[in-house]
Amino acid sequence: MREVYFVDGVRTAFGKAGPKGLFWRTRADDMAVKAVRELVRRNPEIPVERIGDVIMAATAQVGDQGLTLGRDVGLLAGLPETVPGFAVDRMCAGALTAVTAGAGEIAWGAADVVLAGGVEHMGHHPMGEDVDFNPRFITERIVDESAATMGATAENLHDRFAEITKDDADAFAVRSQQRAAAAWENGVMRETVVPMSVFTEDGWALAARDEFLRPDTTLEGIADLRTPFRAGGRVTAGNSAGLTDGATAAFLASGEAVEELGLEPRLRLVGFAYAGVEPELMGIGPVPATQRVLERHGLTLDDVGLFELNEPFAVQVLTWCRELGVDPDDERLNPYGGAIACGHPLAATGVRLIAQLAYGMRERDVRYGLTALCIGMGMGAAVLWERA
Amino acid sequence: MSTEFKLRRVGDLALVTIDNGEDWTKPSTFGREALESLERTLDEVESQEWAGLVLTGKPYVFAVGADIDAFPNVTPDLARAGSRAGHELFLRLRVLPFPTLAAINGAALGGGLEIALHCDHRAIARSVRHVGTPEVFLGLFPAWGGTQLLPRLIGAASAVKVVVSNPLRQNRMLDAQKALELGIVDVVLEDVEFLDDSIAYLRSGPTRREEADLSDTDEVLRRARDELMGPARSPQVALDLIEGAPTWSLADGYRAEEDAIAGLLPEPQAQNSIYSFNLVERRQKKGVGVPDAKPRRIEKVGIVGAGLMATQLATLFLKRLEVPLVIRDLSQEIVDRSLVEIRGEMQARKPFLATIVSGTTGWDGFEDCDLVLEAVVEELGVKQEVFATLRELAPNAILASNTSSLSLAEMGADVGLHFFNPVAVLPLVEIVRHDETSDEALATAWDVCKKLRKRGVVVHDAPGFVVNRVLTRMTSVLMDSLEHGNTVAETDEAIVSLGMPMAPSVLLQLVGPRVANHVLETMHEAYPDRFPLSPTLANYADGKDEIVIAGDRHRTVDEIQEAVLEALADEIRHLLDEGVVREAADVDTCLLLGAGWPFFLGGITPHLEQRGYSLAQTSVR
Repeated sequence: MREVYFVDGVRTAFGKAGPKGLFWRTRADDMAVKAVRELVRRNPEIPVERIGDVIMAATAQVGDQGLTLGRDVGLLAGLPETVPGFAVDRMCAGALTAVTAGAGEIAWGAADVVLAGGVEHMGHHPMGEDVDFNPRFITERIVDESAATMGATAENLHDRFAEITKDDADAFAVRSQQRAAAAWENGVMRETVVPMSVFTEDGWALAARDEFLRPDTTLEGIADLRTPFRAGGRVTAGNSAGLTDGATAAFLASGEAVEELGLEPRLRLVGFAYAGVEPELMGIGPVPATQRVLERHGLTLDDVGLFELNEPFAVQVLTWCRELGVDPDDERLNPYGGAIACGHPLAATGVRLIAQLAYGMRERDVRYGLTALCIGMGMGAAVLWERA
Repeated sequence: MSTEFKLRRVGDLALVTIDNGEDWTKPSTFGREALESLERTLDEVESQEWAGLVLTGKPYVFAVGADIDAFPNVTPDLARAGSRAGHELFLRLRVLPFPTLAAINGAALGGGLEIALHCDHRAIARSVRHVGTPEVFLGLFPAWGGTQLLPRLIGAASAVKVVVSNPLRQNRMLDAQKALELGIVDVVLEDVEFLDDSIAYLRSGPTRREEADLSDTDEVLRRARDELMGPARSPQVALDLIEGAPTWSLADGYRAEEDAIAGLLPEPQAQNSIYSFNLVERRQKKGVGVPDAKPRRIEKVGIVGAGLMATQLATLFLKRLEVPLVIRDLSQEIVDRSLVEIRGEMQARKPFLATIVSGTTGWDGFEDCDLVLEAVVEELGVKQEVFATLRELAPNAILASNTSSLSLAEMGADVGLHFFNPVAVLPLVEIVRHDETSDEALATAWDVCKKLRKRGVVVHDAPGFVVNRVLTRMTSVLMDSLEHGNTVAETDEAIVSLGMPMAPSVLLQLVGPRVANHVLETMHEAYPDRFPLSPTLANYADGKDEIVIAGDRHRTVDEIQEAVLEALADEIRHLLDEGVVREAADVDTCLLLGAGWPFFLGGITPHLEQRGYSLAQTSVR
């Protein structure tokens, strides 16, 4: 098996889904094209004809995300016709799955360089919109009804881990916003976010900054927000990620290609794991996934210098912290904030995590880093990296 | 569309689907056209060579039996012909010269189960929860072979359970596992590949179940008859037929079913039962008298009171609505006790719910309630004070009262939500409107009842509403008899022999004599002529078990019953005259769902008419 390296990753700014969002009049595939072209542009050492596959993730594979995205986006981005592509879906872990699938192609020698990423225009494709749930789920009691509503699964987490209070979740959310605000002042966002011109109701505009940023968020400010998933619940717009439009793209390369093309990769892929959990508690998915990948590679949490976890819900990160024994205030955890502050365009998020992890590992000079996500219908993903 | 038996060749197998072309919300039933379709299908099956036959239903439904819309006003000849037609066709299925399997993929009730019994084998999908013969619940019995085949298949005791006992226990049904345990089906298969697995099961050459040992039939039937009470005929007839099964040939047994159904179906008990079924299962669900307004979204509920009834109500609201709830009582001790009980129940179900219930002795937490239900002591002054306070504190909330007899308009409530004790058992809620009740409040009350999985009936504000008014009028007659020389045993007998589920003396203890007397006083105040105060009931209320004799006029049990019926007819005429209800059907629905009066009396008004008591409205207000 050949070594796999993460060379570079880039994303669009993340916008609010819906008619008032920056990307409302922008096509999802055009957003992915923007990320791909920026990636290609800033990695001139990689000749585009050497790209062995384009793997693009989307949860809703319909409409402007519907045409075998990897191929569609490759052609639209101006990659040669000879570069193939395909689409993957593992909901929130779409981009991460595109990366691990690409890693498989490289490891097997089927490709030297892979372009992997994801896009989700949740404004155009609200979650579950075109999904026809199999009635067997309910009639045969295969899953609890709440499993289909991510916010309800987050409420379930609060039930299961009763010691994690709404105040804890709110406090974590405030911290996420503060860290994200600081991150936009330093280099991480400059390095990983590409501005994109978008047509809007008010004419053309530049989408350069995440729309969900709320640097002035306070505990008091979010304490009394509505709990839309349950009357009297604990999950609010303040302590969860909003519905988001965004796209990401990354280059992976084999050890041989790195040498041959003279690339300067950021990270070496150590290993990855996916795990299944109770669908109605999907947020705990990263716990077994993290444990599995560490165990497989003979490492412990103490060996890992940086964690980039998605933050669909503050309680979700807090359950991971609790189960693995990590202090939520640990400086190694989401140093640039998380999805609560920047948004979570489902299948696009994975590459954001890796790109920020790469930046952070270089800044902090740490050896190992971990990216992890929970996944709808009860799964978790964890990918372990080493500084290259 | 009527139900069809759709035949398809699958290799050497005949695959027959029972399908009415609708989705699962409209289950397939067997009417005349369905039987004609079955006949054509059997003709075709019999004219060809097959290795076997699989009979199954459309998704989620096997078949739920005869089409009861064909039952009202049926003649004895038609009833007999309907039973015979089924017998003949089902027997043709039974004698097919190759193995047959009923693949029970969903609800299999009444005739649906009976057609399955005519197959050699039965497989059932694990998720099926509705198997049974509910006919006795409807004043009938399974007359397409059920009373003859079930004993042969599962023995007399189990047959009695399925045919008689379960229907009489709130129409209890069997799930797949129970059906297997009783021996009604041969195998439980997983849903996921149910039909494929059923076909494979038939192809595996299963052996037929041996016929049951019926030597204990007499003993089983003797015990079953001992347990039956009251005048309902269908359980007796069903038991007679089961008793005959061991001695009759199948042909004789089927003739006996045909004779019995010809005698039973056109008679008042069965006709009343079908009327009751239609009231409860169809008419009530339509929401008669519910305005077409948008119900308020309820995100917080207040309950005023934390006593026994209030605690039951709070538990129900929390469990079903899953929204924050606040209870209030004057004493912290009562509030605390209630909270402990509510939270205890929630801990066992959904612990989260225990965290969103709070209690107070003041009014904290009521200001942002969307719905407040008052359940304090039955005193108008106290209630008026509560509603005056609430109106000021929470001007946007819908204010409801659980009063059992007082005037909603006078106390200042928007609407009445009168639940029946025990709340968890009795499905009825009298939704009480008065002249000022808004459409939104009424629509919300209806919507809330549905979410609570209770059965709302809209009635107009008047003392005692429907159920308590009718029951109290009956109590008045009974007290009057006691006070004129009758015994409690006699008054009890007069009511039990009518078919009521409980002797009035037992019911009185359950309700509590104090409550009963209080309601009587309220009724007396409103209608002194028809609701005389009873010194005996007052004694009971004071804990004295002493009948106050007012005179000697001993009545026979029959005379007491006639007096009760006459009084009921009179009171129901008044309910109609006053516009408390729109139709007699509303009274019947209330009595069926709120007092557990029997289906075979039709609630009460069909029985009153049959006994010669006219309900024609005599006066116009």
